[in-house]
Order: sequence, then C-alpha cells, then structure tokens
Amino acid sequence: MSGRFSWKKTSAEAQLLLIGIPVFLWTMIPVYHLFLFAISSKDSATSGRLWPKEPTLQNFGIVFREQHFYLNHFWLQLLNSVVIAVTVAVLTLFIATCAAFAISRLKLVGGRTVMNLALFTYFIPAAFLAVPMYKTMSVYGLLNSQWALILAMVTIASPYGIWVLKQASDKLPWELDEAARIDGASPLQLFRLVYVPLMMPSLVAVGTYSLLLAWNEYLYAFLLLSKDTDVTLAVALGNFLSADDSPWELLMATGFIYALPPAAIYYAFKRYMVSGLTAGAVKS
Amino acid sequence: MASVSFRDIRKSFGKVEVIHGIGFDITDGEFVVLVGPSGCGKSTLLRMLAGLEDISGGEIVIDGRVVNELESKDRDIAMVFQSYALYPHMTVRENMGFSLRLRNAEKATTDERVMRAAKILNLDQLLERYPRELSGGQRQRVAMGRAIVRDPKVFLFDEPLSNLDAKLRVAMRAEIKALHQRLKTTTVYVTHDQIEAMTMADRIVVMHDGIVEQIGTPLELFDKPGNLFVAQFIGSPAMNVLPGTLRRGSNGAYVEALGSRWPVPSTVSGNDGQAVSYGIRPGDLSLADAGVAAKVFVVEPTGAETELLLQVGDAQLTLVMHGRTTAQPDDTVHLAIAAAHAHVFDHASGQRLS
Repeated sequence: MSGRFSWKKTSAEAQLLLIGIPVFLWTMIPVYHLFLFAISSKDSATSGRLWPKEPTLQNFGIVFREQHFYLNHFWLQLLNSVVIAVTVAVLTLFIATCAAFAISRLKLVGGRTVMNLALFTYFIPAAFLAVPMYKTMSVYGLLNSQWALILAMVTIASPYGIWVLKQASDKLPWELDEAARIDGASPLQLFRLVYVPLMMPSLVAVGTYSLLLAWNEYLYAFLLLSKDTDVTLAVALGNFLSADDSPWELLMATGFIYALPPAAIYYAFKRYMVSGLTAGAVKS
Repeated sequence: MASVSFRDIRKSFGKVEVIHGIGFDITDGEFVVLVGPSGCGKSTLLRMLAGLEDISGGEIVIDGRVVNELESKDRDIAMVFQSYALYPHMTVRENMGFSLRLRNAEKATTDERVMRAAKILNLDQLLERYPRELSGGQRQRVAMGRAIVRDPKVFLFDEPLSNLDAKLRVAMRAEIKALHQRLKTTTVYVTHDQIEAMTMADRIVVMHDGIVEQIGTPLELFDKPGNLFVAQFIGSPAMNVLPGTLRRGSNGAYVEALGSRWPVPSTVSGNDGQAVSYGIRPGDLSLADAGVAAKVFVVEPTGAETELLLQVGDAQLTLVMHGRTTAQPDDTVHLAIAAAHAHVFDHASGQRLS
C-alpha cells in the first residue's frame, strides 16, 4: 500500500539525516563565516553575530574596483588563475586521454609499467617535491613564467588522470573497437570518433579535477611565481596575511568570489559525470 | 562476393595450440556455419578470418588473395557480433553509415545505401533513434544493417542470436536466411546451436577441440555422420548410442548390445566380434508388438510429438514418435528399429563403419 507509514523507511531516513545534518553543518559553517565576513563592514566583522546588523555589499565594490593595496591587480590575477587552470586542464586531459587510450585500447607494450610509475609518483607528497620542482624549473629557465606553474600542475595532475581514464577505458566494450576496426577505422579515427565521445563523462571528471586542482593551488603558485602581475588570485589572497592588520572583510569577499567559479563549474558539469552513456552498446 | 579458403590454419595462444591445422574451402555465395561446443575454436577461426586475431600458421585466402598480413579494414568483410557492438553515441543512421563515413563516401551515396539497407531490414522508421532506445531484436537488425551497407565480400556472424529470447531467435534465424537468399553474399556464421546450423546452412563445418570433425550439408551430417562426435552433436534429441559387438551371421550382420540383437544397414563394414558403438536416432525407433523389450521411464508429450524415455538393460534410450501414446511409466513396450537408418561406429576410433 502506498503512503503507509513504515517504521523501516522512517528509521532509514532518520539515520541518513543523523549523518547528513552534522556533515552539512560541518561543511557549511566555515563557508557561512566567509560569507558573513564578506557582507560585514570592517568594524562589525568580528562581532560574533549570526547576521550583521547592517549587511553591506561595499566590500565587493572595493574588490571589483581594485581600491585596496592588496587588490591592485585583482582582475589580472583572476585572469591568471583562469588561464592557468584552463591550460592545466586542457594539457592534463590531452596527456591522460592519449596515455589511457594507448595503454588500455591499443595495448601498448610497457603500458603496465607506465601505470605503475604513475601510481608511484603519489608515494611522495607533492609538497616535498616543491623544492626539487623549483630547481627543475630554474634549470629550464622557466622561473617567473606561468609555464612553470602550468607544467608543475600538469605533472601533478596527469598520473591521477591517467589512472582514472585507464580504469574507465577498460570498461568500454572491446567489441566496439573491433567493430570499428572492421568498419575501417584507423587508430586515430577510433580515438576521435568512438573512444573520446564514449569517454566524455570521465573526461569531464578528470578535466574538472585538474582545473580545480590548479585553481586552488597555493604552494606551487607561491614558489614558482613572484611578480604581482603573474601570480594567481590564490597567492594574492595569501599576501593579505603578510600584514598585522589585514583587511579581513576584503580577504573574505575576495575569497568568496574566488570560490564561486569552482562551484559553478561543478554544477555545470555534474550532469555529464553520470555514467550510462554507453547504455545500448552491447547487451550486458 | 567471394570465395574463402582456409589452408592448414593453426592458432596458438602462448604455447597452447588451440587450432590444429584446419583446411576447407567456401565457394562464392555459400552460407557456411561453423558449429561446435564452446572452446572448439570456431570463434577463433572466424576472428582470424576477420583479422582480429593473428594467424599462427597456414593461410587464409579471400577471393584469391592471401589476407594473413592484411588489416581487418582491408579485407572487405563485415562482421555481426554477439553483443551487437553498436556505437552507443550514434543514431541508427550514423551507426549504419559509419563505415562509409570512414571511407569519405559522399553523403548522398551514404544516405541512399543506408536507406536501402534500412528498408530491407524494416529499420526505416528507427533511423534517428539511439541504440539504447531499441529492443534486442532491433539492435540485432541494426548490426546486420551496418554489415549490409558495406556491401562486403564476406559476411561474418559470431553467434548473433545468442542474446535473443527463444521466440525472437527463431524469427531472426529466418530473417538472416532470407537476407542471404536475397543478397547471395558469402557468409560464415558461427554458432554453438546445432539447430541454428541445421536450419540455416548450405554446408556445416562441425568443429571439436580445434579440428574439423566433418563438413557437409545439414542432411548429409544428419544421415551419415562420419564419426561418433558428429552423430551425437547433430540432431535433437541426441542420437542413442549403445556399446556393443558387431556380429556377422549367416543372415547378415547385426550388433549385439544390452542382451539384444540390433539390426544394422546392409552396407556396414567391420569384422565379426569388433567392439562398436551402435547409434540410432530417437525418430528411427518406433513402438511395435514385438522386438527389443524396453521399460517406459518417462513420457513427455509435446503435442505433435511424444518423447519416451526408455530403459533397456542398464541403458536409457529416447524415442520420438508422431502423435500420442497410451504407454504409461513402468509399462513394457517393444521397439521396432529402422535398420537402414542405424549407424555403427568403431568403438575405439569413433569412426563410422559403412
């Protein structure tokens, strides 16, 4: 009977809520604080109230008009962040997709070794590699070039991307490759016309991952870039903390703006990340 | 259209040889079915013909040309897979036209050929759908359409009906056969289902453990199986086989088995006292007033026919009769045996004695 009260169902929902509510609070309280700071005036920012007496958007105005010492290059630095993150995502996707295709579908000799090496790179925390990476970039004369950060982030993101895409590739029905080969597809055509369209959900996932990784990166960006006009917004935000009387409300307002694109990207691409694109290919 | 020849084909996976030298010819326009139990090498043989597996030894010839070193796409063949292998991100139209697109065919040509194939297969209403929006039978037809559009020299089918339910399978069987009669394209069809083989093939190649057991038309295999394996593999229900001894008396030859005398065709070869396997098809046994005595074990009426499971000595026999019977379990009945249709095989080698 529909709509009948069921203890089992209710208790299952209660359990979910019991877990869900603390997790939600845990996640949202810092974000709420961020937002609270951003809409408070400088004096009332630390008042401890749950909602400011006089909420204001003035902070955002100061940020957008670059009306503070720390914010002199706000728009340029935001653009740097965008350019670097997008380039990292594109390069990572290109490398990881080609590698996964070659290893998983073309059964390249030595593919297993590449996979193991890719995994091996994660045995060492990325932070430990920052200084060696700095040294490497200086050898190549890339310091103070945004390519240094881009290449470093691609290096960090690619192994994970290769792993994820290789696993996803392995799940594609093998008969599709064989059918395409018989239909007359060269490996490149197979890649372009069959493989990439079917891998789209995983490509979006890996692309988003590497985009956000680069967007949120602080340590490498801080080390490898130094000019105010080169750095990403993440580094610029860090610079706020170099003074004793930091303008918290501006830091938070900028931080809030900085957090919006990732959220937007996540929601925009969420629908692509669902699996099921291969439904109907083969009978399972 | 083209002829196909296998010349002493061998296939090894690592050190294990799975196909041990197979050779036969397929003439232009012929429908040949490779049949055998799973693991007999029939799919591997087909995949070698398709260029999806390397050939370890021997030669495959399509239309007079050795294709061992040719890529799949240069062999001018089309293949229908058991799992259909449709491109899920393409519509039916795009799926069917994919091979032409890869060959940079003109759009008008592609459209026309896709339309023609779609009409043949009743797919013209479904061209804009995606594979996920089709039923199993429709997907199967799209897979066939993709092959037809190519107008290849040879069609290859790898167990194409195994994923369909029983009723649809029978319908598609007829459709594929009708399609072949219409297009007359040389076809190699792999199945493990001997009924499919019997109903569709011009000639059947029975394979077992990587060798060819026998090649022949469906009725040749049914009437004159060359060995015990073919005898038991072809035909449903399977042939009854009894261990016995060949006797040559003054009144002609017979087989002594289960304490009774079993009649044999006059053409049977072999020596008096030779250990043999005596085979008789369920349909070549009938109930009579006198003859070998048997106890009824199970009665299975199927309407038009009745199947009786009988106990003779410690052996079980199957008998199929038209119409119905009054026999009940535990009744004793007598068997008449169509001597001309009995089969005698050497016990040791399994080869036919005739």
